[in-house]
Amino acid sequence: MKILILLLAVAAAPLLTSCSSAAKKQPDVAVAISDKSGDGKAVADVGADDDDLDEYAVVSIADPLEKVNRGTFWLNHGIYTYLIRPVSKVYRTIVPKPVRQGLDNAYQNVAFPVRVVNHTLQGNLPRAGQETGKFLVNSTVGVGGFMRPSDRIPALANVPSADTGQTFARWGIGHGYYLVLPILGPSSVRETVGYAGDYALNPVNWVTILYGGYAWTLAIPYTNTVRSTPGQMDQYDAAIGNAVDPYLAARSSFVQYRAEVARRAIPVGAGTVTVSEAPAP
Amino acid sequence: MNLRPLLALIPFLLLPAAVASTADAEKRLKVAVNDVLAIAKRSSSGKALAEGLRPVLGKYLSFEAMTRRAVGPGWRQFSPAQQKKATGLFTTLVIRTYSDKFTPGQDPVVEFGKAVTPAAGRVEVPTTVLYQGSRYSVVYRLEQTGGWRITDIVIEGVSLIANYRTQFDSQFKQGGADAVLSALTKSVATP
Repeated sequence: MKILILLLAVAAAPLLTSCSSAAKKQPDVAVAISDKSGDGKAVADVGADDDDLDEYAVVSIADPLEKVNRGTFWLNHGIYTYLIRPVSKVYRTIVPKPVRQGLDNAYQNVAFPVRVVNHTLQGNLPRAGQETGKFLVNSTVGVGGFMRPSDRIPALANVPSADTGQTFARWGIGHGYYLVLPILGPSSVRETVGYAGDYALNPVNWVTILYGGYAWTLAIPYTNTVRSTPGQMDQYDAAIGNAVDPYLAARSSFVQYRAEVARRAIPVGAGTVTVSEAPAP
Repeated sequence: MNLRPLLALIPFLLLPAAVASTADAEKRLKVAVNDVLAIAKRSSSGKALAEGLRPVLGKYLSFEAMTRRAVGPGWRQFSPAQQKKATGLFTTLVIRTYSDKFTPGQDPVVEFGKAVTPAAGRVEVPTTVLYQGSRYSVVYRLEQTGGWRITDIVIEGVSLIANYRTQFDSQFKQGGADAVLSALTKSVATP
């Protein structure tokens, strides 16, 4: 049985990693927040404004496969608890923090085609330019991307990330059905195609394809998988912690988060906070 | 006499009041955030942190408004006793969820953005939190409820209240107020 689980993990490892940007994909619930009190009435007494009760309209994503999704959700929960979390714990224990940070930086640096291509597809050439600048600075001054000197250059600090699912959202494509993918977790039809795009655009995954058959080539995507697990587990915990119904909590967080990512695809004006998803040095 | 030109002046007369009020909300939030950060910094364990935060959050958050919004229109079908019970239970969940975001002894840096006023009596303050080498967007929603109080915290686009709303809605559809209360009780009992 243990061997079976191990095989499963090994088979899934490159999948898990391919989405280092997908790791960021927490649930995205389209939160429709209307302002019914926009008539200017002073909300002095909270008990009185019954009209406001519906302002947090329920997030909508079609979930016709809920039964299957719930099954996969709990299967994943088991895999996280008995396999991925222990792996992540060992990694956190034996690898010192500066090295982990360096690896995170390096893998994110290498994944720059994902961001450049998607900024371009979103029609945001300035951001594609910033990404290219960031890549050049970090790959050279930052010693192969292990450090992020770009954070000290105002023009290159805090460039919002970009991914393929976000590009689809920017193009006006809806989620389609909600899907819980084995191991990868919350997704949708649109975001699953997005994952595939991110996977194909991430050079980390090219090595195995180009030099297939050599065992060492697996080290690159596998390291990426392992180094991304602590962050992924943290996000999972944040999404379902203290939930009344963890499945719905994860779905809601996924839809909301992806809606936020889609909003970030639209260039923001002055005065709005832009947030990069990548870690600082 | 034609009063219309004077009417046009009314918004300008009201403007300083609105500006002052937004500034009040921002000031209030800054005090709240500083209080929370001070507690997070000096707490030695997660449990001590949650206990230390309880009175502070009670001062700055409106748990009543948060519970009402999280339950949604079904709230009107709760009896006053059920409303009170739900608020008590949800308060514990909110405090726990919020405390879980901090690691004792860590010192996040919070940058405040420009506040927006989506409606009268409401203010949204965007902040950026630098924490353990990453940046997060955290938006605080405040409401004027006899003083400015925090009614929602939106982390990386995920609203705490909207997240619970989805869950409570499904419970309410299945079994009304009783189902919501029993689900809440169960969740509070699970550490």
